[in-house]
Amino acid sequence: MKRSSPSLLKATLAIVQKDLAAEFRSRELISAMLVFSLLVILIFNFALELDIKVRQSVTAGVLWTTFAFAGTLGLNRSMSVEKDRGCIDGLLLAPVDRSAIYFGKAISNLAFMLIVEAIVLPVYSMLYNVNLFRLDLLGVILLGSIGYTAVGTLLSAMAVQTRTRDVLLPILLFPIAVPVLLASVKASNGLLAGAEFAEVLTPLNILIVYDIVFIAVAFMVFDFVVEE
Amino acid sequence: MEPTPDTSVYMIAGFAISFITMGIYVASLYIRNNNILRDIETLESMQTDKPKATKK
Amino acid sequence: MQAKPTALKVLDIASILVLAISTYLALFFAPTELVMGAVQRVFYFHIGTAWVGLLGFILAAGSGIIYLITKDMKWDRFEVAAVEVSTVFFFLTIVLGSIWARPAWNTWWTWDPRLTTAAITELIYIAYFMLRQGIDDPERRARFGAVYTLLGGVSAPVTFMVIRLFRSIHPVVIGAANANQEKMSMTPDMRVAFFFALFAFTVIFIDLIWHRLRLGNMEEKVEQLKLKVSM
Repeated sequence: MKRSSPSLLKATLAIVQKDLAAEFRSRELISAMLVFSLLVILIFNFALELDIKVRQSVTAGVLWTTFAFAGTLGLNRSMSVEKDRGCIDGLLLAPVDRSAIYFGKAISNLAFMLIVEAIVLPVYSMLYNVNLFRLDLLGVILLGSIGYTAVGTLLSAMAVQTRTRDVLLPILLFPIAVPVLLASVKASNGLLAGAEFAEVLTPLNILIVYDIVFIAVAFMVFDFVVEE
Repeated sequence: MEPTPDTSVYMIAGFAISFITMGIYVASLYIRNNNILRDIETLESMQTDKPKATKK
Repeated sequence: MQAKPTALKVLDIASILVLAISTYLALFFAPTELVMGAVQRVFYFHIGTAWVGLLGFILAAGSGIIYLITKDMKWDRFEVAAVEVSTVFFFLTIVLGSIWARPAWNTWWTWDPRLTTAAITELIYIAYFMLRQGIDDPERRARFGAVYTLLGGVSAPVTFMVIRLFRSIHPVVIGAANANQEKMSMTPDMRVAFFFALFAFTVIFIDLIWHRLRLGNMEEKVEQLKLKVSM
């Protein structure tokens, strides 16, 4: 009997569906990321004394730092759940392409990050009276989050297989993710300062290039990270 | 034209740090090398002891 | 244990010799730079260590790729050797640059693209060793190490590009830095010391990598002996 393995797209979507369904039932990951993000913003408020003058120049930096920290929290959790419950072995045994696992995990990680961002942004807008709901800014945030989770998913798959897994992910991820964070901050800063779209085109291009390059690299090497 | 500033202290510090760092690295290679040689010796003697032990 | 090969002995002596000559050229042969004074002499070592640091990073990423394709542990040992030696030299580059910057730019550190990229690259190297330390299975350690050097190799140039762009809003720092570099036009004697330093550090680099490689091979032997003994 020949059983054809499901297509890449189908398998990926199945993994995303599984992750989202599990998350909507327990809500432990998103709630942790969310509370953590709000706490980070709170700490920044005291640490930087975010009055109107300071705020204008640091909003982008504060936002991206928050997203990066909350992102590592989520990435770590989402992978160690798979590892602890033995799900990853089950997934590896399943007759699906390994890259479906990568794309599935990356997309669900991205979804978690976007959901958290979608809640943090209005709260930040309200607290500091700046309008962050602009299509161009949302586009930058989407591109930045894609790049961050693309690398983050790969590295978290590596980090959970080590002895020091809880502390290792940020150490591995931050130096590699520097370009994406810098370009995102640069683009967001420009947009918030009311720059012309053409002025932020270069960081935007770098973001797009980073996203494409790192998705391609992660896709190619993911096999080596999960193979037994 | 400004006179050339005297920055020889920095220069000496720079060269001193270069040699010290390289020296420490070479020393670390040497120490690790010796440790490994000792490990190999111990393991090899254990290996030759072992057949006798199992024969008994 | 196999005896030290003659070629390596020759290389050892050659390394010490070229280091001595390079030091002589940097300290006495090259003329004193007029604007910055004596401290400019660390430049030769600074450039030499930076060159081999970068070379090692590229070699490591390359051997990482070869390892992933061939799964031959010898490439993993080469990768570790390259990263380790480069980490030492890159550390020197940063420290020497800092010492040079203090009198020349009046600060130990500026967030200039080159300095920042160098610091991030060094952090990637350190993260690489922390990653390896957390893994017991040698085969998995090799795989993860190769993947990480590959990611680092792709990320570092992008970082450089972004920071260059990012910092261009602060033209003062960059402008001052560039002006200083522009002023430092090299005389022929300086050029001799400069190219000899590049050559000297390449020789030393090869020598150290060779030694580290032998160490790696012996570590491998210890692992095998341990397996045999425990069986």
